[in-house]
Amino acid sequence: MGVRRIDWELCDGCEICVDYCPMDVLRMDRETNKVYIKYLRDCQGCFLCERECPQDAIYCFPVRERRIPLAW
Amino acid sequence: MSDVTHETDVLVIGGGIAGTFAAIKARESGAKRVLQVCKGNVGKSGCSAFAAGFFNVPLPTDDLDAMFKDMVRDGGYLRMQDRVQDHLEQAHLVMQDMMSYGVDFVRKDSGELERVPGWTRDLGLMFNGPNLMEAMRKASLEKGVEQVNRAMVTDFLTHDGRVVGAAGFDVMNGEFHIFKAGVTILASGMCRYKSLPPGQRDTTGDGTVAALRAGATVCDTESDFSLNNAFVAHWDIGPGMNMYVGQGGRLLNGRGERFMEKYDPVRKDRAIAGMRCLAMGLEVRQGKGPIYMDMTHLDPEQVGRIKKALPLASLMHQRAGFLVGDRFVKPIEWMITAPHAQVGLAVDRRFQSSLPGLFACGESAAAQAMTKSLGCAATSGVTAGVAAARYAQEAGEPQIDRAQVAELRERLYQPLQRKDGIEPDQVVLAVQEVVAPYTVLLIRHGERMKKAIAEVEDILKNQAPLLQAYDHHYLRMAIEASSMAKIAELQLKSALFRTESRVALREDYPYTDNVNWLKWINMKQEGENLKISTEDVPMGRYRFRPERPEHLHPLWQAAENIGAIKIEKGAVSWA
Repeated sequence: MGVRRIDWELCDGCEICVDYCPMDVLRMDRETNKVYIKYLRDCQGCFLCERECPQDAIYCFPVRERRIPLAW
Repeated sequence: MSDVTHETDVLVIGGGIAGTFAAIKARESGAKRVLQVCKGNVGKSGCSAFAAGFFNVPLPTDDLDAMFKDMVRDGGYLRMQDRVQDHLEQAHLVMQDMMSYGVDFVRKDSGELERVPGWTRDLGLMFNGPNLMEAMRKASLEKGVEQVNRAMVTDFLTHDGRVVGAAGFDVMNGEFHIFKAGVTILASGMCRYKSLPPGQRDTTGDGTVAALRAGATVCDTESDFSLNNAFVAHWDIGPGMNMYVGQGGRLLNGRGERFMEKYDPVRKDRAIAGMRCLAMGLEVRQGKGPIYMDMTHLDPEQVGRIKKALPLASLMHQRAGFLVGDRFVKPIEWMITAPHAQVGLAVDRRFQSSLPGLFACGESAAAQAMTKSLGCAATSGVTAGVAAARYAQEAGEPQIDRAQVAELRERLYQPLQRKDGIEPDQVVLAVQEVVAPYTVLLIRHGERMKKAIAEVEDILKNQAPLLQAYDHHYLRMAIEASSMAKIAELQLKSALFRTESRVALREDYPYTDNVNWLKWINMKQEGENLKISTEDVPMGRYRFRPERPEHLHPLWQAAENIGAIKIEKGAVSWA
């Protein structure tokens, strides 16, 4: 699942996670000033957003969002 | 939408360690304006940001001659040996630079740098995951490098045969960017086909494909010394191979047997990545799969080192229930990745490509130029940055061809206008289905590769031109998918061309042929056709040469010794 939850009680809209995400998965909602998951399927599950969030508002889980063909 | 035009003396494409070093060194070498552009964020995306806590750096007190010999032999004697020498001489200076930028390598209580084993017999330094590139990013800014983030370069600008910059777009808001540059350094990395390890799914070879379109020559796209890597099979966990095997992790087959000693009796589990993946493939081919990584015997001190160097991967292991406290609680099923496609540009010792005005370093340069792994990428970036700054000083003012810019601009945005086209995911999956099976590019056969090439040509002809994008994020994904398909074509055609077993194994050509194949394979796009040619490795002026003219590949030999294969009529026959 990669990025699984952004706790809007904790998110203060600092956008650090948006800035960090290598896959452009996260976006800021200008109306609520909260970050949301816009392109979940492109999440690569790197956990950077969770690690960098100063509010500990993000939780990731290491399961793939998309099927990846395997070597065998 | 308006265009954004940048003018710079040195343009660096890519935000990893090679590009960041190139940018810093270009500034230090006198370039007034240096601009670094990244489709993600400098220092926070790409493979370097997820480098696995291990920096393989030789120190002057090490046995450099032995390392030199190992590096040449591990690269199948295809490496540029003058570049190997440059790397060995420069690496510790680069490490000192990094420490001056604030990179914290792990130290012992005494204050001395702690060196730990990784792959091979070499020792490396540990660092705390993403912190390394964060320090590099800040150093680049402090040196006066301008960073443009979230801009994906899609094409090079040329004038009278010289590269005079690049063009691309902002992946968030779609703005068209024009970069006019005296010299351009490509450092956007190789293609990993969006395969297993998290943190590496944004490297799709876009820069190489753009360079190929501009007329650059790519070199030996199939014989990277670590053609694959291996990670957790069914969870998104990784990377970290150096640390796992370095701290004592063991690979087991489905019968619980340690098998690496059969294939590499000296290094065993610490064999180079390519060797380890081939051995895994051979076990699976013999029906002894699946493969596990067993770290249950590691003591808390060893696990502690892994946690320190790999904070992200350790958290993933914890979440998945594999790591509890200071112990790994069960063996973890592992799998090899899709091939790494280091479709790098052919470069000289200073990392100048075949096109005037274009340099390439890191994994954007050929594997033969010793550019893979953090340390090698770093030294390549340093050399390229210094050389490119000199080029910019000597070259005249770049001229932009407005008609070319207009044409590139129009082509770039076409997927946004297409209706009822093809989803990027469809192309990504189609390419992965072709290249991921280990019997295609790891354990090879001409017939299987021909079939794969036909499939990729079909994707390139019938799917890639119809890619559609709903917005600028999907435009990025469409271009990445298209790049992956092109890279697969290059890699497969190059692999089919090499009729021997050297860095990978061929069932139909099981011998290493040092008489006919101490050659680099070069490829160039000419209209619709890929032109393939060879270039002799200049062994005459190199220090180390293979001892035997022709021999059965050591891994085929090992497989024969254990009765897994026979050689019949010059080809492999499975028992």
